[in-house]
Amino acid sequence: MKILVNFGAGCILESGNALCFLADILGHIFKGRIRLAEVLKQVYEQGIQSVAIVALTSLASGAVLALQGYAAMGRFGAKEYVAHLVALSLVRELGPVFTALIFSGKAGARITAELGTMNVNDQVLATRTMGVDPVEYLVVPRMVACFLALPILTIISEIVGIAGGYCVGVWEAKIPGIFYLNQTIRAVQYVDFFSGFTKVFFFAVIIGWVSCYQGFFTKGGSLGVGRFTTKAVAYSYIFIILSNAVLTKVILTFWG
Amino acid sequence: MIRILHLSKAFNGQVVLEDISLEIQKGEILVILGESGTGKSVLLKHMIGLLKPDQGEIYMDSQNITRLSEKDLLKMRKNMGYLFQEGALFDFMNVFENIAFPLREHTRLDRGMIRRKVLDILKVIGLEGVEKKYPSELSGGMKKRVALARAIILDSKILFCDEPTSGLDPIRSRDISDLIRDVSRRLHCTTVVTSHDIQNSFRIADRLALLQKGRIVALGAPQELRNSTDLFIKEFIG
Repeated sequence: MKILVNFGAGCILESGNALCFLADILGHIFKGRIRLAEVLKQVYEQGIQSVAIVALTSLASGAVLALQGYAAMGRFGAKEYVAHLVALSLVRELGPVFTALIFSGKAGARITAELGTMNVNDQVLATRTMGVDPVEYLVVPRMVACFLALPILTIISEIVGIAGGYCVGVWEAKIPGIFYLNQTIRAVQYVDFFSGFTKVFFFAVIIGWVSCYQGFFTKGGSLGVGRFTTKAVAYSYIFIILSNAVLTKVILTFWG
Repeated sequence: MIRILHLSKAFNGQVVLEDISLEIQKGEILVILGESGTGKSVLLKHMIGLLKPDQGEIYMDSQNITRLSEKDLLKMRKNMGYLFQEGALFDFMNVFENIAFPLREHTRLDRGMIRRKVLDILKVIGLEGVEKKYPSELSGGMKKRVALARAIILDSKILFCDEPTSGLDPIRSRDISDLIRDVSRRLHCTTVVTSHDIQNSFRIADRLALLQKGRIVALGAPQELRNSTDLFIKEFIG
């Protein structure tokens, strides 16, 4: 019983600290204390350096979706609907969620490891001793970069995923290319795109917040950096999956 | 002048500092001596406002810094330099960028001026030509010199040095100690150093304070401590 009470109290305290941290970050952002040069550097490190891995996994995912769709729909003589299946699945659901998970594993882990290492080596403390706010200098640019990079990566992921599906559709299912493209364009409407794309901004905040929080409060030397980085990725995954379920329900209720 | 009045601090019920009172005069070099774990670094972190005391007050001139908000403390620290035990250089910046960091943050000097100031200070610390190197490419002694340069680049009025000679060989220890003394004299800055390096502490200090179990047990000029008949002091300074 005592263990449960302690665990509950610990969770409440941790959540409170994390919320205060987020409020501090948002306070800086709304006051315009954003260092553009640092943001651009982070966009490069988090975003541009993640393009290859996002594109590769999306290409494979799109191809697998098309293969499975062709195999399943072929049984009903509806293989021409493979393009619909691939496009709608990617745009409404898989593109945003897959990209967020990959981004969290790559860029989120990087953020936590960087901030954590700086923390255990007193570099975060050093910024304070030099009269510089570490949240403004180290955290805000990373958070803003997440917010900018993830939506762009999601669009890349969706386009490349559809291309993967196209390749399978044309070469494996022998669907004419023009027909496949027409079907794709007809399948995806604005509402489909935005119902998926809206989620990305929530995921970006979750990844930035969790990764920065874990990194900023890392302790325990190099072992601690490993532990907190793992925690950041695990928490990000859990929050992305759970929030996706809630967001999907909300979006379907109000948007269709 | 730095004035510490009845400062106490405990972590998880364990008392680290107990009723510390101390005055450090302007331009003075004070070395706080003590065994490992006696609270030297904790005391230093209180002086720069990184820690809040459980009891007691710290005055910088007439300002009580224990009551300042983090925002005001950040402003106050622009006039202070802090040399960390391991240097705490930004590992994603090279030497030049590390030293230029406070100038870029707190002054409106143009690029040329910043470059000149950084190269000048590298000459002062005897590290010309290393400006493009990264901290990982430097030895322990070089890192501390660069960190010292970064700490004083804004012509700090107060300099705090946490164990500046730890992990260095005797020659490097003497060099960095002399450098701290020379820089301190040149800038006329108040300097507080924590150390357990007896020999170098006696070389550079105007006064020494000896901490034992969170309390100051001796305070005075080097000669006064040498002449002390107290058993602990005699044993500690050898």
